Amino acid sequence: MDHRRLDPIRRSVNPVQLDLVEQFARGNITRRQFIKRATVVGLSMASVSTIIAACGGGTTSAAPSASGAAPTDGAATTAPTSGPAGGVMRVAIQRPVSVDPVAMQDLGGYGMVAQSFEFLCTLNEAGDDIAPGLAETWAPNDDGTVWTFNLRPGVTWQNGAEFTSEDVVASLERLVAANNAGLGGVLPAGGARAVDPLTVECTLASANGNFPYLVSVFNAQTVITPAGYAAGTTLDAMPDGTGAWKLESYDPSTGARFVRNEAWWGGPTPLDAVEWTFFDEIGPMVTAYQGGQIDAIVQFDVLSGSALFEDPNFNVIATSTALHRQIWMRVDTGQFADQRVREALALSLDRDSMVQQLFRGRAEVANDHVIAPIYPYFDESIPQRTRDVERARALLVEAGAENLSAVIRCGELLEIPDLAVLIQSNARDAGFNLEVAVESLDTFYGAQWCPPEPADPPCSGASELGIVDYGHRATPDVYLNAALATGGVWNSSQYMSPEFDGAFAEFQAAVGVDAQKAACGKIQTILTRDLPILVPYFYNYLAGSSTAFSGVYSSALGQMFVSSASKIA
Amino acid sequence: VTRFILRRVALSLVTLWLLATIVFIIVNVLPTDVGRTILGPFASQETVDALNERLGTNDPLIEQYVRAMTNLITLDFGTSFQSGQPVGPMLADAIVRSAKLAGLALVMTIPVAILAGLFAARRRDQKVDRGIVLVGVTSSSIPEFVTGTFLVVVIGVQLGWFPVIARAPAGSGPLTELYYLFMPALAMAIVYFGYIARMTRAGAIDVLDSDYVRTATMKGLDTKQVMRRHVLRNALIPTVAVIGVQVGYLFGGIIGVERIFNYNGMGQMMLFAAQRKDLPVLQAGAVVIGIVYMLATLIADLIIAWMNPRIRAETQS
Repeated sequence: MDHRRLDPIRRSVNPVQLDLVEQFARGNITRRQFIKRATVVGLSMASVSTIIAACGGGTTSAAPSASGAAPTDGAATTAPTSGPAGGVMRVAIQRPVSVDPVAMQDLGGYGMVAQSFEFLCTLNEAGDDIAPGLAETWAPNDDGTVWTFNLRPGVTWQNGAEFTSEDVVASLERLVAANNAGLGGVLPAGGARAVDPLTVECTLASANGNFPYLVSVFNAQTVITPAGYAAGTTLDAMPDGTGAWKLESYDPSTGARFVRNEAWWGGPTPLDAVEWTFFDEIGPMVTAYQGGQIDAIVQFDVLSGSALFEDPNFNVIATSTALHRQIWMRVDTGQFADQRVREALALSLDRDSMVQQLFRGRAEVANDHVIAPIYPYFDESIPQRTRDVERARALLVEAGAENLSAVIRCGELLEIPDLAVLIQSNARDAGFNLEVAVESLDTFYGAQWCPPEPADPPCSGASELGIVDYGHRATPDVYLNAALATGGVWNSSQYMSPEFDGAFAEFQAAVGVDAQKAACGKIQTILTRDLPILVPYFYNYLAGSSTAFSGVYSSALGQMFVSSASKIA
Repeated sequence: VTRFILRRVALSLVTLWLLATIVFIIVNVLPTDVGRTILGPFASQETVDALNERLGTNDPLIEQYVRAMTNLITLDFGTSFQSGQPVGPMLADAIVRSAKLAGLALVMTIPVAILAGLFAARRRDQKVDRGIVLVGVTSSSIPEFVTGTFLVVVIGVQLGWFPVIARAPAGSGPLTELYYLFMPALAMAIVYFGYIARMTRAGAIDVLDSDYVRTATMKGLDTKQVMRRHVLRNALIPTVAVIGVQVGYLFGGIIGVERIFNYNGMGQMMLFAAQRKDLPVLQAGAVVIGIVYMLATLIADLIIAWMNPRIRAETQS
């Protein structure tokens, strides 16, 4: 270790950053984890490079940057090559339900809005973490309660107006007023303040080591809109963002066309335009690609898109994610209120078989908690639950619930109905008699998962057993807060545990890697014991593009970024 | 004729009013918080209430009903709950798209099916007649989505002759649009060919067996003259009636075909609206499809009256 190079950095960084440097220097975290975390806590690229070199980890090639990709296990991008300038890319995306930046809830809307509007922290080109966006740098105070974002100078809105800290403050205030799921309970009303035209300070309700993720591409509604934007305005009504692409036309039922924003701070895009075609199903997207009518697909699933894996001219972008399904069980009332019944169902699941049958291996077995292995603070020491039908039967007998009959409810979405059938079949071996009820998504969300009435506590009208989908998040805060914390807005199992709430609060307040990992260890232990939800797997997000294009990268939230994409000669 | 048309239009208006009322009742029976649907699950109740107030969804039902009917009369369809877009232009785009697809499908089907039906009737019980009947029964018994999938896989993907998405790029000329619409229209035409051909055949056989055709033949008219002067007009009356109804049906959207070819006509739009409880779109769409049905059957009745003097006389009396 080169102390001569390392010590000046140790002296110049704040305590949160110092903790990370020490963890890396002691070998407690890998280089990749260090780079990811360094981006979050606001260490500069130069410091990251120096620290890696000082600790004997090589030089700058691994440093995160807005323009250079950090190395990653998942191929979330098609490596940029120097293609000729010009051309049009045609992309297939699910039809947006809403393109209102504040209220949008669907991946189609996220994908559209992110073309014209940008985040404080954007996606790195590896597709797995945040990178500087409208904020060039950011850093917390000593205890992680105040985060300061230094904005990128020289950025303009597409209508020519200057981008300033007032726009950021107004955007954050709008999101707080709209009860944004990521910022709720973290950033209080009035918590964002413009220090000067290029500096924004966010004073949080309590310490939070992951705040930059909550104002990043991973919290899709946090795109920065102009200060004068009125909540409820849609992309097509007010299309002038700061992004690489300028909306030329938008038809909610067929598609949209974006052209190059010549004044973009990142420089002109290689492509002239991007045409987005809206689809309601994945099958027609795949045939449209095979028929040569589109060049890229924003998201597809293993079963509908199986032909794409065999196509040598299609580059599959597979990203390891925290995408998962939660099988909720009401813990407060009904047949699953007894923990032994919930454990019996957990023990009946053949998770390996689910991963193979539903994802052809493109998923990882999960352990009934929401801390995915991709998170640097995942505690791998918690034993993985495996199938044990005998034990499951014994637990049911112990609980006096032999031949328990129940309905497992789910929405008609991707592999979920098939998962319900697999659960039914697995659980039958243990003595459960489950009936599968598949409904349209609207009916399912509104009537089974989280009915609006009774409203207090939220979701207290939920069915006793069901499967719900969860999108990818760069941190598990939303899962923990909304689905599992007492009174959470998506808490359909009605789980209320002071022990869990305490561990979650500990996790939110933790700003060092050790502290976060310790809190996550507690969370994992509590959840695998209490079992308010079952999580059988975390699956890969799949997107892709024709090999005729390079430089395409994708988040796991329906946002495909093509600002550096070009046609290969 | 004018009186007949006026009477039919008046009857159509009453039917449309009934249709709009039924849709209004169905739509309002659904337990939906409109403000919550638009603003999503995270919006505060205060914001949701304010939006409901602005949209008038909190008003008494009778007040909402009067407003809805007034809006329909003035062709003001309101704003989509989901997209926030005005319904009128959305609907107009979908109508134009559906009209193009249904029109092409009918143009492809009607002449071929009528000729095949007449040809089969002339050669009744011969091999060619049985062949046409067999093809007709087979083609009309295969659902459109099966035919569509077959066309996409074989003609679109494997042979690459036609595009698999029906929507032509923006700014395309009419010929390019026809090229893009060919496959979905063919999928629909295959199904309706059998139906119309068999109907024409049955009508033509009835007429060919009639006394006046026998008399015409015995008077020495050749086959072409008999077919043109005596058979065609009378044989096609049931066919025209069927086509009139089918126009409305095709226009309402063959959802299977629209989904396979990713074509956003009335069918896709209505399905999307129904799935998301987008009430203004649903209401306006149902009324527009009703109007098309009525216009199509009115035109079919007028054609039938023109073709058959007896019906014309009944109409006039």
